[in-house]
Amino acid sequence: MIKKRPVLRRWATVAALAALTPITLAACGGSSGGEDSSGSGSVDSLTVLDYYTDDPGHSDIGKQLSQCGTSVGVKKVVHQSVPGPTLIQKVLQQASSKSLPDVLMLDNPDIQQIAQTGALAPLDDFGINADGYAPGPKAAATYQGKLYGLQPGANTIVIFYNKDILSKAHVKPPKTWDELKTAAKKLTVGKQYGFAFNATADYEGAWQFLPPMWTNGGDETNLTTPQVAEALQLWKDLVDDGSASKSVINWSQADVNDQFVAGKAAMMLNGPWQIPTLTAKKVNFGVVPFPVNKEGQTSVAPLGGEAWTVPMTGDKAKMAKAADLVKCMNTDANQLLRAKQGGVIPTKIKVAQQFKQEDPSMAGFVDAVATARARTGKLGPKWPDTAKTIYTGMQLVLTGRAEPADAMAKAQAGG
Amino acid sequence: MSQAQLAARGREASPSAPTGPTGSRRWRHWREEIAKTLFVVPAAFAIVVLFGYPVVKNLTMSFQEYTIRTFFTGEAPWVGLTNYVTVISEELFTKTVINTALFTVGSIVGQFIIGMLLALFFHRHFPLHGVLRALFLLPWLIPLIVGSAAWRAILEQDSGILNVTLAVFGIDPVPWLTSPDVALLAIILVNIWLGIPFNLTLLYSGLQDIPDELYEAGALDGATGWRAFWNITWPNLRAVVSVVLMLGVVYTLKVLDIILGLTHGGPANATQTIATQSYQRSFVEFKFGEGAALSNILIVISLAFAVVYLRATRRQVDE
Amino acid sequence: MTALAESRISRTGDEQRRHRRHLMVRHTKNWIRMGLGIIFLIGMLFPVYWMLNISLQGSGTTLTSSVFPLHPDFAGYRTAIADQGGHLLTSLIIAIGTVVVTLVIAAPCAYALAQFRFRWISWALLAILISQMIPGIVIANALYALYQRLDLLDSIPGLIIANAANAIPFGILIMRSFMLGVPPSIVEAARVDGAGRLRAFLSIVVPISRNSLITVGLFSFLFAWSDFVFALTLTTKGTIVPVTLGIYTYLGAHVANWSPVMATAVLASIPAIILLIIAQRYIAAGAVGGAVK
Repeated sequence: MIKKRPVLRRWATVAALAALTPITLAACGGSSGGEDSSGSGSVDSLTVLDYYTDDPGHSDIGKQLSQCGTSVGVKKVVHQSVPGPTLIQKVLQQASSKSLPDVLMLDNPDIQQIAQTGALAPLDDFGINADGYAPGPKAAATYQGKLYGLQPGANTIVIFYNKDILSKAHVKPPKTWDELKTAAKKLTVGKQYGFAFNATADYEGAWQFLPPMWTNGGDETNLTTPQVAEALQLWKDLVDDGSASKSVINWSQADVNDQFVAGKAAMMLNGPWQIPTLTAKKVNFGVVPFPVNKEGQTSVAPLGGEAWTVPMTGDKAKMAKAADLVKCMNTDANQLLRAKQGGVIPTKIKVAQQFKQEDPSMAGFVDAVATARARTGKLGPKWPDTAKTIYTGMQLVLTGRAEPADAMAKAQAGG
Repeated sequence: MSQAQLAARGREASPSAPTGPTGSRRWRHWREEIAKTLFVVPAAFAIVVLFGYPVVKNLTMSFQEYTIRTFFTGEAPWVGLTNYVTVISEELFTKTVINTALFTVGSIVGQFIIGMLLALFFHRHFPLHGVLRALFLLPWLIPLIVGSAAWRAILEQDSGILNVTLAVFGIDPVPWLTSPDVALLAIILVNIWLGIPFNLTLLYSGLQDIPDELYEAGALDGATGWRAFWNITWPNLRAVVSVVLMLGVVYTLKVLDIILGLTHGGPANATQTIATQSYQRSFVEFKFGEGAALSNILIVISLAFAVVYLRATRRQVDE
Repeated sequence: MTALAESRISRTGDEQRRHRRHLMVRHTKNWIRMGLGIIFLIGMLFPVYWMLNISLQGSGTTLTSSVFPLHPDFAGYRTAIADQGGHLLTSLIIAIGTVVVTLVIAAPCAYALAQFRFRWISWALLAILISQMIPGIVIANALYALYQRLDLLDSIPGLIIANAANAIPFGILIMRSFMLGVPPSIVEAARVDGAGRLRAFLSIVVPISRNSLITVGLFSFLFAWSDFVFALTLTTKGTIVPVTLGIYTYLGAHVANWSPVMATAVLASIPAIILLIIAQRYIAAGAVGGAVK
């Protein structure tokens, strides 16, 4: 009919226009919008992105950043912090819209993956090197021979034990796996578990499994070896005989600390970032490195901590200043300051020794960090896939869905 | 005026009545059509501009090899159906689909029935009924991260308040979040809890829109209680019920944060759903192509329900 | 029957006694209902109670608090009030803005899709439904790109638009299903009397649809209030911080201090729940019935 067609045609035009909008946006979105200036002269401000959202960390880092800003000749440092798990998402959004920050903090296992995409500037270009650093931080930040990040502080995980509980039960801090198992069993009394660790289905759980795996000689490049199976067996034994709660597959490291503080666990596997809480709650704790399985083995723990990197923003002047800022955050004085603020160990060997002298209670951590191993040391950007296999296999064992001998194989197959 | 007279006059003046092809009539007809379209234009514009791009991008991304590299270099090679084949042929896929089905059905049935019963309960006005109904919305006011922390504490196997309460009745501690067999049930229960305010509020509003006169007339004919519900309430509530169920299904299929907050998809992948897997692929493993493929599969499933809903609502309009 | 009508009826003595007993039974029933209502609410709100409980226990741990806050400690609240006051206001402004924008845009569309006979209604509904199937993160990422070009990042209007965009399709679907029940004859009567479509809509349809408008307004408020994804994605400078983002001041990458987090959540709920209680009062019965008469 005549009346219907004009209406239809008009409506078709509206619809077509409406449909074109997102397609044009899709075409334009993500392509250049960026500031590709090689810039000259003075730099007014630098943007910094990290995940230190909570205080006092946020203000401590903020102060350090602005002091460094002044010392490198930048008037203003804009400091933005986002929740930990959302950092990389933020980085990706900013990358595709060409709005990356001038200085980017990255958790050390992520550095090589981001460097591989070409988003980070090699620090060698700015005359920065990692001489005098412990081997772990250096390995984590190196991709294809070039250094991409500088990490001022490191941490790792060790066994914390409650001195009061252990002395009352006449138990000595364990040095071997057998000692760990017997101690944990003996300390499991009433509502108190002997040992608590984190075995969640995420990268945190994988990280916590690395001490037994590496100490026993297992390697992340080949997970289906008997050494890895024995490590799995240790975790399984601890849960099976009741020394560790079945809830470990759901507890984060923060939850594990809560259990320890409340006296519900006599020993725990955790890191120095918990020390401020432990001292605040007046827990009388001691630390020992993760026990070894057989004689002759050395305790190996994974390297934690974050590094400062310089993204490729295209603004040469800003990038140069950013590199200066990264260098400033890594000076001996700043490394020591950061360590004293609590929770990290200086990564420069000499500074770490100085720190050990000034604060003997941290000796255990200093030694552990000196030998700490980077997760991405061998696998580089391929680490996340392996981490997923590790935590999947671990969960299969702890839920009884697989035996330690074939759990990793099953996890690799996608179980 | 009686209803019939009103209707008759309305039909006479209705601009959609067929008229002769005279100029002024056609112009008025056009003006009518434009006026009617203008009701819809702002919403249409908002939806197309703000949702059009994500929908299109999600679709195209699923056919590309879209990784972390793409964000920096812009390269995303076309790989056709590879992503779909990869995700479907994984061992975990069947389990994920089953979990999704169980999770959705369990949540919807629980939420709807409890929401409906509560809406009927609140339908009678008793003291404080308004305040109580408003307070039922409190679970939605709490940031989800806080809610999941509270639930993790409650469902804790050793010391959580739920097991402590059950122990009083002589029940052994239930491994709510730590056993692959029970974990799915636990998150279904928490999701039901989350969904009750939604169902309660909407169904209650729907009940309020049913005129009291219908009930009074029904009571005169002897229809009370269950008969009144079946013959008066239910037919009048059908439009609201279908939209509540429809949206319930769509939203439940998307549920993500509460599962991640409670179990991370574990233990041993016992609580992985298509939504959590899609998130895992995209934002943890940075395989965005595969993540998009999974979320498109989810959209296709939702579309099936959407088509059912559209048929039902068209029938209602025609009635 | 209304109370007024009842009182006008004259009764015999017997009838009066029966009537009084009837009223007493009804009153008792009402009090029983209220009691039951409170019990249901307690069951439903136990996690909220737990949150309150932890906020009052300075220990700050979720796994080890006792069941009752025997020694309430307001340190968490002091911290929360000091830090989060501005954030609460930001959240409130964004949420209220979202309600307004959502209702203004969605209501006319819902009415049109309910009452006008377009040929493409099913397609429109399908498009709206599809928009609800997209995961929030995907939308947020796309919006980030768009906002960057339009310079809408770190702005309150930007967040209002984003949250409203999320709520509009929902609002259209809900209000449409309610508006299906509006008798077209009423609107036609107004049009016959000379009112334009817009005026007919505003003066006839809107009052009748009060219940659905308030309900959609409620949910738009709640969506915006509890939104985290847009708040995180669409802000970069830390100048605009809704409270869902603000609580991360206490939640670090490795350590979590739950006491001020819970205190913030409790404080944030108070103004919101007051608004919700007020709004609930307006969801009254018989809006449609009265208009038809």
